[in-house]
Amino acid sequence: MTDSDHKRWSEDLAAYMLGALEPGEATELERHLGTCKRCREEMRWLGPAVHSLPESVERQEPPKQLRQSLMAEVRADARPAERPARVRSRRWLLKPAVGFAVVALLVAGVVGYEVGRDGGEAGGGASTVVREINGMTVKMIQEGEGGRLELAGVPQPPEDKVFEAWVERDGEVEAVPALIVPDRHGHAETTIADMEGVETVMVTVEPRGGSETPTGKTVMAMEVPQ
Amino acid sequence: MRREKAERLADEELMPLVGRKDPEAFEVLYDRHGGAAYSLAYRIVGDRAAAEEVTQEAFISVWRSGARFDSTRGSVRSWLLSVVRNRAIDFLRSRAGKAPKLDFDDDSALEQRPATERTEDEALRRETAAELRGALAELPGEQSKVIELAYFGGFSHSEIARILGLPMGTVKGRMRLGLEKIRGQLAEGLA
Repeated sequence: MTDSDHKRWSEDLAAYMLGALEPGEATELERHLGTCKRCREEMRWLGPAVHSLPESVERQEPPKQLRQSLMAEVRADARPAERPARVRSRRWLLKPAVGFAVVALLVAGVVGYEVGRDGGEAGGGASTVVREINGMTVKMIQEGEGGRLELAGVPQPPEDKVFEAWVERDGEVEAVPALIVPDRHGHAETTIADMEGVETVMVTVEPRGGSETPTGKTVMAMEVPQ
Repeated sequence: MRREKAERLADEELMPLVGRKDPEAFEVLYDRHGGAAYSLAYRIVGDRAAAEEVTQEAFISVWRSGARFDSTRGSVRSWLLSVVRNRAIDFLRSRAGKAPKLDFDDDSALEQRPATERTEDEALRRETAAELRGALAELPGEQSKVIELAYFGGFSHSEIARILGLPMGTVKGRMRLGLEKIRGQLAEGLA
């Protein structure tokens, strides 16, 4: 390669490292880098200059809720690997505080404002029920054998707590594998793989990492139309 | 893994744990670099809510792709900040109604650098940041402008040429000269 050939690639290096080459140009340069030791060495030498750019910005304090929300999502994602996806238990029914709250919320759900109901898409077997419960908009979408629970207006859980969803069928309560993690707009959703026979869907406040049976305050419970 | 044990590990030792979905290792990583990540996102998008969204998305992508980190290609911090920068630029472009730019891979621009060359603590980083700002301020305006438009604005060299009314070769030349000057100052003792 002549010096003038090399100069052409060398001039592109800085633009490449700043992310300023067009996609085709970047691909071409990457191909060249695979065969040109001199360019690779130049890139290695200039690297610290590019890496210094993000370090030069004025420091801002990240909001506390960013850490909370991020870690809630991470722990929810890590959780399925940490424990079995489904746990059956009736113990929650024996907890007076939880039972009372569920009954109260079920009543609220029954008499609460039913925002809408979609009888289903033609031939698709889908149905949607929307209710206002405890200040939240709760949407239960059933499609085929599964379902999706969508919540709006969900507050952030207290520190070191998470929201956990449960379904009840045949008098037994099962944990929904993924925790409920509201985003910063208060939206959250979770998928329920098997909706067959589900009579009630509920959400409780649980310790970080979730519980095997409901232990905390019930924030939402809704009967599922059969 | 317990939090106290994770805190004693270097970033490069935390990454395999993050790849195996260890929340404590990830939390330590966020506590070390979340501030720099949020600051960079804010510098690029210019809005606190958007910076929060970008930072969260970037860290979640790191959580989900932690196994992709290659310690022979640079420090964890550089990699993390390059992920944040790319997310922030994508955010800017989507807000402007343009397709996200895909020519700057998360780890494509990382240099070969031993993992042991890590900056030691936040105090030093803050001091270094102030000095780096000074170094950038000392660049001739024509060089710092093209570097800022590219790195913090996400503009390609041809877009910058249009914006500034310059030939593309001139823009690339100024980028090169500017980076060389910063590199020279780092070599003289800033790094």
